[in-house]
Amino acid sequence: MSYLEIRKLTRFFGGLAAVMELEMEVDQGQLFGLIGPNGAGKTTVLNMIGGILRPNRGQIIFNGTEVTRLPPHLRARRGIARVFQENLLFRSLTVLENVEVGYHMQTKINLSNIFFDTRSNRIQEKALHQRALDTLDFVGLSPYSNELAINLPHGRQRLLALAIALATQPQLLLLDEPVTGMNSEEVETMLGMIRALRDQRGITCIIIEHNLKAIMGLCDRIAVLHFGRKIAEGPPEKIVNNPVVMEAYLGKEEDAT
Amino acid sequence: MDITVQEFWQGLINGLALGWIYILMALGLTLIFGIMRIMQFAHGEIYMLGAYTVYYLTVTLKLPLFLATCLGMLFIGILGLILERFLFRPVKEDWLSAVVAAVGLTLILQSGAIAMFGLHHRNLPVLAEGPFNIMGNIFVPKDRIVAVVVAVFLSLILYLFLKATKYGQAMVASAQDPDGAILQGIGPNRMSALSMAIGCALAAAGGVLAGSMFQMGPFMGILSLVKGLLIIVIGGLGSLPGAIIAGMSLGIIDGLFPILFGHAWASLSPLFFVIMILVIKPQGIFGHE
Amino acid sequence: MNREGMFKILGSIGAILFAIAVPLLLASTYWTSVFTSIAINSLMVVSLRIILTVGEFSLGHVGFMCLGAYTSALLTMKAGLPFGVTLPAAGLFAGLVAFGLGYPFMRVKGIYFAILTLVTSESIRLLAFNWRGLTGGLDGLIGFPGAGVLSIPGLVQLDFNRFTEYYYLTLAVTLVSLFILYRLEKSRLGFTWLAIRDADKMAGAVGVNVLRYKVIAFSIASFFAGIGGALFAHFERALGPHPTATFGVMTTIYLLIYMVVGGKSRFSGPILGAVVLSLVYEFARPVEEYQPMIIGAIGILVVMTIPEGLIGIPERFKKWQAKQIE
Repeated sequence: MSYLEIRKLTRFFGGLAAVMELEMEVDQGQLFGLIGPNGAGKTTVLNMIGGILRPNRGQIIFNGTEVTRLPPHLRARRGIARVFQENLLFRSLTVLENVEVGYHMQTKINLSNIFFDTRSNRIQEKALHQRALDTLDFVGLSPYSNELAINLPHGRQRLLALAIALATQPQLLLLDEPVTGMNSEEVETMLGMIRALRDQRGITCIIIEHNLKAIMGLCDRIAVLHFGRKIAEGPPEKIVNNPVVMEAYLGKEEDAT
Repeated sequence: MDITVQEFWQGLINGLALGWIYILMALGLTLIFGIMRIMQFAHGEIYMLGAYTVYYLTVTLKLPLFLATCLGMLFIGILGLILERFLFRPVKEDWLSAVVAAVGLTLILQSGAIAMFGLHHRNLPVLAEGPFNIMGNIFVPKDRIVAVVVAVFLSLILYLFLKATKYGQAMVASAQDPDGAILQGIGPNRMSALSMAIGCALAAAGGVLAGSMFQMGPFMGILSLVKGLLIIVIGGLGSLPGAIIAGMSLGIIDGLFPILFGHAWASLSPLFFVIMILVIKPQGIFGHE
Repeated sequence: MNREGMFKILGSIGAILFAIAVPLLLASTYWTSVFTSIAINSLMVVSLRIILTVGEFSLGHVGFMCLGAYTSALLTMKAGLPFGVTLPAAGLFAGLVAFGLGYPFMRVKGIYFAILTLVTSESIRLLAFNWRGLTGGLDGLIGFPGAGVLSIPGLVQLDFNRFTEYYYLTLAVTLVSLFILYRLEKSRLGFTWLAIRDADKMAGAVGVNVLRYKVIAFSIASFFAGIGGALFAHFERALGPHPTATFGVMTTIYLLIYMVVGGKSRFSGPILGAVVLSLVYEFARPVEEYQPMIIGAIGILVVMTIPEGLIGIPERFKKWQAKQIE
């Protein structure tokens, strides 16, 4: 029984199958890559694992429990965290406050701490601040804690998104294009961070990326999607030389010209 | 629940006529929202202005109803162009500002109408005289039938416009994907203007039908607006079949339920109906994600 | 505490002192009743804004005001309960209805939710109109008991049926309500609402039960709308459901314009809008027919020129000053 099991996962939009009968297994502690040309359905798969989208058919089983129909916030409670493709941040909040939102599941909100400035409330607030700062430290964003999140440049915004996901104490991290739009230095930093997350905290990661070099260097195992179906799966060396995979990518390029 | 067959058919045909008036409102609202991404909350006042404009043309200038209606739709369409250019275009970036612009317009048009025309109710000339024999010895007023035919006809023209003309297809594309539409070669401003003109003309037509069959007064707009909006929620934004089914359903509820169940239940029924639909399908009958 | 914080606190204290002094300063029952309305309007607009802080938009706030008004009026009239009981009961009823409707309503897209709230308030209004047996239909309810008399033996006897006493009662209830709403907004709860408004997809992904928090905001806002309705009912001592009367679309529009003209980004914005525009409305009484037009025109003017609202003027001024220095 793998850590994450995906069985016959299917999702239609209108009449079109975005994902068709996908079977996938991810082991605990794996760095699992998901690649494929544009429109292959990768983000749709992540949306279904994260709970934003319900599959039309199929099952998602995480850590032994079926989560297929659970709403996103309950999946977060079970340890599934998400970094979105678009830079989804809390725009009116500072960097530090953004991470504090990430700690929501460990924050108590009740009548007494809304209206009364109780001692336990102040202790909680302090602890929250500190944990958020620690998380920012890990991703290297502490100097920017009091900046408005939207004022950060793109690369740092991606790091902030990662920090927010980490605040949820995840066991499975879903990363949608974590290094897209970054320069090579930022890419290296991010990749190093993802490796550290697995090595130090045992977090399993599923990564969608277009930057093939990065993914090949990072992942233990890679699955390739094309028009919603899995066309190949295996360790990076096998995928790189796989003719079916090459045709999928090249075929797309030919269509474009 | 003691009603005769005659009363039932009367209620039913009233309901159908009402329903198609609501559908005209919903079509305009959905077109404007689809292109401009603005919910035109003053649409009811446009409907009211349509009725009053044609009233002026027929009663004061003594023009025949058909000609007056065509002219009325034209004038109100032009009003729509002016409103788009000077009221809605400057505020289209911020949705809340656009809402305030629309409701501010509602206040202005409504109090203007009261100031100019007074509070009392009027009537437009009838669409058609006399009864219409449906079957056996059941008779319904002919004008209800004419109203439904007119509304269906206008809806058909809109449908053909959207399906078969360059501008229409561009508008449909723009509603589904605002960025892709620019590729069609028609600027967003021109499409917004066109959607307002068409939407307002349809509302004006609705106002004329209502003013002729039922009464017209300065407050007639709000009710029709609420019905139009309700159709959008039940039928699903942007769906023509959804609007038609939802519109006819709501119309029949309004036509029959007061006779069958009394006015109190009749006023709650649309709300129950929409709650029921939303619990089953949150995007509306034909809506999509 | 920084300068801006001091400014805010002094400003609030000043406003409260002014509000307390109003009946003495203006010495007329007419103006006292105007300010009673202003207090109720402020509560309505601030509670309306709560829904906005969670990223939703309601066009049906007056419906809950209506529920609260009729609940309190009927309870005092038919069940003989004192105002002290019917006031919170009114809020509670309105809040519970909102809670029940919130779950199906807030699952759907924002624009649909706004439309649903509009339909709801119109349905409530029509129900009040049509349920002759309960609400007196076209004639409405008249002459139901007011807020009664409060006697603390040996200390004071307050007859709330008189204008001045009722004003202070309304002011007290309003200030307490505003305080509660302010604390809510500044708490972790309000913080979570903000996060939901900014990025609800993201909030869900970090474990926030978005639907529940939205429904809570909607229910709390509607609770206070119910309170506002009860205050209104016992002020007017008559309730009639005519379309131009208080619980119709016109009032919805006024509340919306008051909120936006005042400024939606700060807690005090709606209060400013309610005060300023209520006064404008009052001064426009001689040209009664044009009152709606004036308010509508002001609303349009403000969104075209200062979309942040009146409360944003100091910021604008500072920026303009900074530009002059360059």
